[in-house]
Amino acid sequence: MVHTAGHGITPRCDTCGEPAVYRERTTGRHFCKNHFIADVEGRVLETIRSRNLIAPGDHVAVALSGGKDSTALLVILSKVLPGVGPVRLTAITIDEGIAGYREDTVRSADTLVARYALPHLTVSFPDLFGGTLDAFLAGREPEACSVCGILRRKALNVAAERAGATKLATGHNLDDEAQSVFMNVLRGDLPRLVRDSGSDSQGRFIPRIKPLMFVSEKEIAVYLMLHGMWADLPECPYAVHALRGEVRRMLATLESRHPGTMLNLMKSKAKIEAQCGGLLEDEAVHRCRECGDPCSGEICQLCTLKKTLR
Amino acid sequence: MHPARPVPHKAMKILLPDKCRRDAGPGPVTVEALLSELGFDPIEVIVSRNGMLVTEDAVVGNDDEIRIIRIAHGG
Repeated sequence: MVHTAGHGITPRCDTCGEPAVYRERTTGRHFCKNHFIADVEGRVLETIRSRNLIAPGDHVAVALSGGKDSTALLVILSKVLPGVGPVRLTAITIDEGIAGYREDTVRSADTLVARYALPHLTVSFPDLFGGTLDAFLAGREPEACSVCGILRRKALNVAAERAGATKLATGHNLDDEAQSVFMNVLRGDLPRLVRDSGSDSQGRFIPRIKPLMFVSEKEIAVYLMLHGMWADLPECPYAVHALRGEVRRMLATLESRHPGTMLNLMKSKAKIEAQCGGLLEDEAVHRCRECGDPCSGEICQLCTLKKTLR
Repeated sequence: MHPARPVPHKAMKILLPDKCRRDAGPGPVTVEALLSELGFDPIEVIVSRNGMLVTEDAVVGNDDEIRIIRIAHGG
């Protein structure tokens, strides 16, 4: 359905005929503001329910960097969780110490939690590990994402434990998840490929959940724009070094030319997971000889990494 | 009596993600075609016309003000 105004032609919402703000590329379906918001929130609620991500009585720590994904996660959870039952939310923020990047997003996180009147707990790399990410990465920038990933994972667990949370929610979206599937294939990492995408704690830590795993990055941007909450924040300066950056560009091109590519990657993963997930989950869980955290070898990744940090 | 003169079409005003401004032809053109002409992947940007979000199959032109917003990754 279209509407013409002067030179412009505005497609209309397939449901109500109001001006469309979003077109789903796979189906060609048009959504107005209200139906788009309802669709996104409904999909998140469906993900939570069908995967049992959150139950009544849970205390959910929301990993809030202040960037777009975590902002959308907090806003959506605040709106849909009353439909799940009594659930508490606490925002947790990790300040890695990335100059020219993290200051802006931390400010954005502070503003958001004040608006929603939520408890907020911040943990910094200097507090936990004795230095900033910038300092740790001097001369080893190409390793940025793997170094940061290990430190950040620990920091999130510490923050969630300090908050007394029963679940740890992160803002990973459909694009992130599809990229991870593709990267694990490229690396030949079958155990990681078949790990449950919705909750990847494997019973060792506070369960991690990804309620936005079926919402695309673009949908998140549109959702925030429609709520007047879009902020033009910088990208992480270390992202240029990552394999993920190359995979992201490749998948974006494929998705653009062949709509549905990312969702199909997720479906492929689900099929592989269903066929052989159980065969690969017998990996023994040890305790790290140095810190006591659960790990697969004798020393955990964090303790191994710490030895190399300056 | 003077013959009616045709009203000239005005160029579209484009605000790019880097805040630079440029004019584009008067159109009409779909948002998707405009993005392609400017070298943007529709997956990686969102577009507003005169302050309202529009879909990639919307047709823009004349003196529309078009803003292209790049979606920052991460966060």
